[in-house]
Amino acid sequence: MERREFLKLCLAVWGATLLCEPFVETEAAEDDEARLKRVLKEKFGGREIRPSSKINLSVPIIAENGAVVPVKVSADMPMKVSLYVKKIYIFVDGNMNPYVGSVELSPKNGRAEVAMRIKMRKTSPVRAVIEMSDGSLYTTMKEVKVTRGGCGG
Amino acid sequence: MSEIGKIRFRIPKNIKRGQIIPVKVLIRHPMETGFRKDKATGETIPAYYINRVEIYYSGELITLFDWTRAISANPLITFYLRADKKAPLRIVWKDNKGGVYEKSVMINPQ
Repeated sequence: MERREFLKLCLAVWGATLLCEPFVETEAAEDDEARLKRVLKEKFGGREIRPSSKINLSVPIIAENGAVVPVKVSADMPMKVSLYVKKIYIFVDGNMNPYVGSVELSPKNGRAEVAMRIKMRKTSPVRAVIEMSDGSLYTTMKEVKVTRGGCGG
Repeated sequence: MSEIGKIRFRIPKNIKRGQIIPVKVLIRHPMETGFRKDKATGETIPAYYINRVEIYYSGELITLFDWTRAISANPLITFYLRADKKAPLRIVWKDNKGGVYEKSVMINPQ
């Protein structure tokens, strides 16, 4: 019963997203690159963000519906009290606000892995930034091709 | 819209003490960006979205989601938890209109 209801709900979610209208851009004073740079500076100041192969960013290569793009981020990094993955950030270069959201973790999670579904306005890189409890920052990026833009961002 | 706020947990059935388990949470919410227009009236639909999700285990805040309007409607999230004691797992979410909802599930490792 539980399972059936869950599936039913999933179907309803999918149906609802079909009604989503693409977002129409009204102004573009700042290009994607400049906007991302500004937002990263707001979040992390001038701190160095190093590319890391220890972050696994799982996104579709092609997203048919930009309103629902599944994103999974995991990090092959420690989750001990002495050193742990403190925060996972998600950015989408092509959204009006490139900062999509973040998750603050603790050693109680046991594992640095989160998944959620995000909106993408257009084809763009998706970035994960990981902040360790010692303040060090790591990042990785993947491009997602969006067939139909998801309303907003 | 009376469904708004409904929260559904999915946790594994048989949990061993100390096991790291996946927790899935599905929340009913329109997550309106404020950019969409009502097709019938032509009026802009006001922004309405969850901006914060707090996860407590045994009363302690262990995970905190900070969200913008770029999270999809009816958010589905997955995170992990080290199930080292019998204790409630509580989710509290808040939206930009001041709505606060919560739900708990008992984690009972054997």
